[in-house]
Amino acid sequence: MPKQACIDIGNLTKSFSAGKTVAIENLSMAIEKGQIIGLIGADGAGKTTLLRLMTGLLLPDFGKLCVCGLDPTADKEALNCKIGYMPQRFGLYEDLSVIDNMKLYADLKNADRNFDSMLDFADLKRFKSRLAGKLSGGMKQKLGLICALMGNPELILLDEPSVGVDPISRRELLKMVKGVVDENRTVIWSTAYMDEAHGFDTVIVIDKGRSIYRGNPYDLASNAAELEGKIIELMGGYVQISSPVAENFRAKRTNVTYAVEALGLAKRYGDFHAVRDNTFRIKKGEIFGLLGPNGAGKSTSFRMMCGLIKPSGGTAKIMGIDVVEKPSLARSNLGYMAQKFSLYPNLSVRQNLEFFAGAYGLIGKDFADAIGRMTRVFALEKYLNSNSEELPLGYRQRLSFACALIHNPSVLFLDEPTSGVDVIARREFWNHITSLAKKDVTVLITTHFMDEAEFCDRISLFSKGQTIATGTPAELKKKAGAKTMENAFINLISKGEEETP
Amino acid sequence: MKIIVALIRKEFLQIMRDPSSLIVAFILPTILLLIYTYGINLDAATVKIGIKNDDSNAEISSLMASFSQNKYTSVTTYFDREEMCNDIAGGKIRGAVTIPGDFSKKLAASREASISLITDCTDISQARYAQSYVSEIVNGWLVGRCGSAAPQRVILSPRFWYNQNLDGRWALVPSSLAVTMTLIGILLSALVISREWEHGTMEALLSTRVKPIHIVIGKYVPYFTVGMCSLAFSICVMVTFLGIPFRGSYPTLLLVSSLFLFACLGIGLLMSSVLKNQLLASMASIVVGFLPSLMLSGMIFPIGSMPKVFQWLTLILPPRYYVNFVKSEFLSGTIAHNVAVNGTFLLLLGLFFSMLVYRKTARRIDVRG
Repeated sequence: MPKQACIDIGNLTKSFSAGKTVAIENLSMAIEKGQIIGLIGADGAGKTTLLRLMTGLLLPDFGKLCVCGLDPTADKEALNCKIGYMPQRFGLYEDLSVIDNMKLYADLKNADRNFDSMLDFADLKRFKSRLAGKLSGGMKQKLGLICALMGNPELILLDEPSVGVDPISRRELLKMVKGVVDENRTVIWSTAYMDEAHGFDTVIVIDKGRSIYRGNPYDLASNAAELEGKIIELMGGYVQISSPVAENFRAKRTNVTYAVEALGLAKRYGDFHAVRDNTFRIKKGEIFGLLGPNGAGKSTSFRMMCGLIKPSGGTAKIMGIDVVEKPSLARSNLGYMAQKFSLYPNLSVRQNLEFFAGAYGLIGKDFADAIGRMTRVFALEKYLNSNSEELPLGYRQRLSFACALIHNPSVLFLDEPTSGVDVIARREFWNHITSLAKKDVTVLITTHFMDEAEFCDRISLFSKGQTIATGTPAELKKKAGAKTMENAFINLISKGEEETP
Repeated sequence: MKIIVALIRKEFLQIMRDPSSLIVAFILPTILLLIYTYGINLDAATVKIGIKNDDSNAEISSLMASFSQNKYTSVTTYFDREEMCNDIAGGKIRGAVTIPGDFSKKLAASREASISLITDCTDISQARYAQSYVSEIVNGWLVGRCGSAAPQRVILSPRFWYNQNLDGRWALVPSSLAVTMTLIGILLSALVISREWEHGTMEALLSTRVKPIHIVIGKYVPYFTVGMCSLAFSICVMVTFLGIPFRGSYPTLLLVSSLFLFACLGIGLLMSSVLKNQLLASMASIVVGFLPSLMLSGMIFPIGSMPKVFQWLTLILPPRYYVNFVKSEFLSGTIAHNVAVNGTFLLLLGLFFSMLVYRKTARRIDVRG
């Protein structure tokens, strides 16, 4: 009779920096075969560490760990034949084509070269000779998954596979994973999306290196939104306080009505139209959401509006100042948080904050106050002296957000600010955003969390470089005839794609 | 085996797709060769010398004539000492000769006579040339002046072995192979393991059944191949286009070169796997690889005249052995003893560095792993 437990963990402990940072503390649990397990937890809670311990990439300090009947410390090679692991950045060679990546992993994992069915499965056949680096986030995720699935692994470990991936691609990925799970195959999937987690067989909530809940998500809540509330409760609860960032915000006097204007913005790369004739106006103090699938041209629009890339046509204005004519002046009103982590990786958290405060011209008391405030607000104390590249994903996002806010900008451009941050931090982020908006800060934001879309005053749905619908969340849902924002998104985008082949 | 083949294939695809590695392998060596052939000249060129003659004796005019007739000096005559000194300061002349007013009188009296020579020693080699040319001219003039009455002198009759024309390029250009090969062996390979760490692909590789030995071989083979291609290309350019004579045997040259490349790859991959950061690894490879091959290899500066500490340091640096070998292989042909000594040391260094690479190649993400 085969052993039913796929993973057996007893009193597992793992710490870093010679015991200073404890990532996993005295964790014990058993995970049964044949199910999808969601791993949820706060930023820096130890999810990635746990997955790496299971693959044998990290060694435990002490405690028992048994994966697929093997000890990852002693039998790493044997164990790795039974595991398919997809690290946070997918582990793809960006300068190799899709098919070359597949060939490589097939040989490394001693798998059949039965690529056609896999390409069909992931719907990547059309892109088979495209370089992996040129794929959209959703496609990279699917390619990463089929590479992880090669060699028929018993255990599949996915580390936040859906960070920064649009709702349509996420649904497809979930469908793919559900398709491969059977009684002998187990999937462990770490995620920050509650709608995903709610669809799994079991969720494990990790907080500060310990497991605080394990069980069927339905036992906890009947839907995803409720699950989020319950998990926040488990993690110690979230009390909404008035945002210190907004409290200290001093608005600049201005008489412009539209803080942000995009006037016929367009960007062409050769024959490819990344953005076509995009026009919208955002009123002062409005939160404007830009939603759309990966590769729709959202980030390109952002970069054009910051004056970072030159539009092929049209222009944009920030607080009435033309970004093409006077990019530096226009940007002085702007706080920009790029999608890709764009702080100095080998400066410490403190040095990054100091650099941005200094670069935006804060001096003396303002300088010290701003840094102190940002450190407190985003709970960065623990990491002040760590290099920013070593931060857990969620903390990197917090630091980027802090650096974008440090100079009290009147306009905020946030490109997927909440991708990869935990549920509590997400609420805090939105608390700051809405409180700032009340103080007349204008916010342009992109997100793949559809519940966040509901917080926007107006939304523009963006697909294939074009706006396909604009309106309040209620208007869009009505237009799509859908109850939830997610269904509205999927309906409107697929309808838009049918119309513009 | 399947794993190694897959890794090697992947690495080749990456090399082909990355124009910068092909530039380092073929374009850079060509540029270097052209610079060494046409740009750098270690041989003496004409030295500019100023002369002020205070001696009115007619005999001195023949001395002045020997100065101006010498093909290695270009002479300016001065009448004002201050002006001449100013021109030294301004770098217009490298040496200033003053013939004192009582020179011929003293000489006639068979006493010691002196000529003053001031040289600009900000450039030592030019100053040395100035000194030796001036004394050569003056001695030549003395011999001519005294005729058979001159004191007996030993006449050197030099034969320049291996390089009859004393053409410095003949020695310099072959040695530049050391620089070319360190570019590939160290600079290019220093990037490749750190790149995998930076892009997160190392994590994915280590989560499969790949062993460190697979990774190490998967890196050595492709870059070794590229390095040997680049070497063959460079040798071809040297011998056919630049007219450098090759008197050794090609198999020996390829054999010892491959040992040198092996040692260089060891250094490059070692830095790459220890530093795990492309920028750091490339900077380190310039300091540990490129600069020593230029400065501590004996290619430009003779090792024998270095301070002892540096002489010891060169013992653990592969370029020293290779430059020594490649110079003699090109110019004097295969010398069994030379090949054996240098080849053995290169092999030992290569094995030593490879062992370190193997030990430093991670099995896990953990530092202790």
